[in-house]
Amino acid sequence: MSKSVKILLVTLCLIGILSLGAASAAERPFNTNWSWPTYIDPAVGSDFSSSVALVNLYDTLFYPDFTGDPQPHVAENWEVSTDGLNWTVHLRQGIKFHDGTELTAEDVKFTMDRLTTIGEGYAYLFKGVKSTEVIDKYSVIFHLDQPFGPFETVLYRFYILNKDLVMANIKKPGPYGDMGDYGKQYLLTHDAGSGPYIVKEFPLEEYLLMTINSNYWKSIDPNAPDEYKMIGTCEPVTVRTGMSRREIELGDQWQPVEALEALAKIDNVKIGAFPNGSSHYYMLNTKKPPTDDIHFRKAMAWALDYKTAIDKIFPGCTQSRGPVNQFIPGADPTIFQYQQNLEKAMAELKQSKYYDQLDEYPVVVAFPSVPADNEKMALLFMSNMNDIGIKVETLKVPWASIIEIMASEETSPNVAGVNVAPHYPEAGSLLESRYKSDSVATWEQNEWLLDPKFDAMIEDALKTVNREERFVKYSQVQQYIMDLCPTLFIFDQMEKHPYQAGYIDWPASRGEVIPVMGYNFAGRFIKVYPEKRAEMLK
Amino acid sequence: MGKIIKFIAKRLVYSVFVLVGLSILIFFIARVMPGNPARMALGARTPEWAIERLREEMHLDEPLYIQYYYWVKGALHGNFGTSLVTRRSVAEDIKVFFPASLELALYAGIFMGIIGITLGTISGWYSNTWVDNLVRIISYMGIITPSFVFAIFFVLIFGFVLQILPTMGRLSPGVVLPPSITGMVTFDALITGRFNVFFDALKHLLLPALSLAMGPLSQGARITRATFVDNAQKDYIANERSCGIPERTIMFKYLLKPSLIPTITVFGMDFAAIIGNAFLVELIFSWPGLSRYGMNAMLQKDLNAMIAVVIVLGLMFIIVNTIVDLIVGYLDPRIGLGAEMSGK
Repeated sequence: MSKSVKILLVTLCLIGILSLGAASAAERPFNTNWSWPTYIDPAVGSDFSSSVALVNLYDTLFYPDFTGDPQPHVAENWEVSTDGLNWTVHLRQGIKFHDGTELTAEDVKFTMDRLTTIGEGYAYLFKGVKSTEVIDKYSVIFHLDQPFGPFETVLYRFYILNKDLVMANIKKPGPYGDMGDYGKQYLLTHDAGSGPYIVKEFPLEEYLLMTINSNYWKSIDPNAPDEYKMIGTCEPVTVRTGMSRREIELGDQWQPVEALEALAKIDNVKIGAFPNGSSHYYMLNTKKPPTDDIHFRKAMAWALDYKTAIDKIFPGCTQSRGPVNQFIPGADPTIFQYQQNLEKAMAELKQSKYYDQLDEYPVVVAFPSVPADNEKMALLFMSNMNDIGIKVETLKVPWASIIEIMASEETSPNVAGVNVAPHYPEAGSLLESRYKSDSVATWEQNEWLLDPKFDAMIEDALKTVNREERFVKYSQVQQYIMDLCPTLFIFDQMEKHPYQAGYIDWPASRGEVIPVMGYNFAGRFIKVYPEKRAEMLK
Repeated sequence: MGKIIKFIAKRLVYSVFVLVGLSILIFFIARVMPGNPARMALGARTPEWAIERLREEMHLDEPLYIQYYYWVKGALHGNFGTSLVTRRSVAEDIKVFFPASLELALYAGIFMGIIGITLGTISGWYSNTWVDNLVRIISYMGIITPSFVFAIFFVLIFGFVLQILPTMGRLSPGVVLPPSITGMVTFDALITGRFNVFFDALKHLLLPALSLAMGPLSQGARITRATFVDNAQKDYIANERSCGIPERTIMFKYLLKPSLIPTITVFGMDFAAIIGNAFLVELIFSWPGLSRYGMNAMLQKDLNAMIAVVIVLGLMFIIVNTIVDLIVGYLDPRIGLGAEMSGK
């Protein structure tokens, strides 16, 4: 073979490599990237990406509106017994699962039994469900062990499974007795839902590809994505390249500030931001000196520079107003808000029993090592406290260690800087998980409040079925917490996602935000304009 | 042939001891690490009874030696337990992730061999000229720069600026995977005759494989060059020159072959190491490989996955080393295989 023929062959090979390869088969693809892993089994998944997938693959009895209020979805109507213990739900008829079988009360009962038996994922929201009873083909009763007012709200996390399909794919033996593995292996990579999207491919650890359910029982926008891909990466360089090549339509919320700035400079890429219900707290240990002294805690609350924290460290976020994120239904907008005032801080500190011995009682502030901004916040806190003579020691630890040190009263730090989001979109969720006695020793409460009066107040509020009455009680509970000053309420978080503003219409970016994790990424409300994308690629 | 079989059998016996030792070491290290793996897997809000059930399922409530007994019993039947992250059998995970990493390492190996040896040979042939100096600078840069930096650089150049090569995953959207025969997409595509898939997969392989190969190929170039120059000064080369043998024959036949021995040994170690050390490169290119899987297992205290990955990597080192020894033995029977077989 002559030299020139060899060169020609190599050149042809290179051209082939660079030019061949098929384009996407979808007309309106919607590629997104997320932190991984993603679990599409409704009894297993509960993290961010899993919630996004579940919202798209399954239907729920109720669906949240933009205020977080429950709207009937698979449920047609419902009633609650006067004692609040029995919730009867009548289902819509004619809803079909992806395999064509009809969704009935048996499926609802099966889903609840499976969820509470497995106990993972969102099962913790349904621990009060004693049993589920099928009345007829389209009616079911949930029997609760005690009244629970926000029950409709937690049903946003109740993703209804196709009983027959799951039963046909059970593997025996398994950890659930007669139910074998309860279909867990099957539901790892397949769906058994009736939602607007159907699993097409799911190579674990790589991506989840969903295709549109053209027989969906509710309307789907004609411009909604026909293929919805969730890719398992948050690597900034990869995301930036994908966005610039229009291969990623919507990016994850974990991009660092610098990466977001770079993304925003790409033509037609914008950063969509909306409050997500999560707040950043400095949880003060009320059982450990010196933070066991209320005047000491109030001095810290007055000394902290909230403005700098928000302007310089967490731009775009808003200062918290009390224990409940203002985006969450039931938050009291009239709650008092601390601002930095060193005179008031000193006045409170002087009333503290530790005033004369500040050097002997350094305050330990522990925070997770990721994200990096946590450290900046801790340093600001240290500097602010130093201004009034309080000594601060910082403790940067991995997330797993935060959970471990907060698990006992002895090892809990004076201050733990942690983000907390409600389990369901209501003030009661945060108030219960943050301050009730049974949440001490978890990462959601470093305050060790152990206050019987508070416990009674929040229990009473949660048992109140009437929403308006319940919200009034939530306000009283929030005020009670403010009087105890067990926490520094720093900021309500904004969730930021880069997206292709040039050819994607994403309702959340226009302010149509549903305050429930995952619901803002429901594909059926998103519009994709491939012709605009093609134009941009020219 | 008998010698080779005896050599491989001896290596197999050694490898059993190595793997048992490795399994004991990693098993106990993994278990004494702080943190409750069941809690980490199921999440902070999962009730205690569900956590306890998982602990029982995994025998975490038993003494360590009993846990090890269960692990060995399972491993002997090809059952490495269930991954706490993927919730799938670890053996099945390895079956998916290992071929992806192996394919990446094979292509990186091709780059290492072709580019590294070529650069080393050129550098050696033109030693102490500007060509040698240029290759030296390139090689030093390749050695001191971590593979993930090359990965980011290549993504920015070929993905972001020039936009001519893909930077995510193993195939483009819409390209359907060929039936899994080897698990390596390019090989499966060739076997099934799907050439468009082959070229698409090749495009996806280029940048991650090159990123991984840059360090080892630079190192290989330096080693080849040094041995080449050393051999060039030996008496037998001078003798061949004096006999009037053409320079080209001297270079390829008498200089290159012995000069490759140390390079091949180093490439063998590098090849096995690539599979274990490719974590960041796999992360940057969203490559579903074993290294990324293993690193996630470490971070999330996925005990079964962690141990299985270490065992697979250990096995890889043993296999690659055996192959390297066989090649070296073939290239120079005085060392390697010959020495071992003569009982030295």
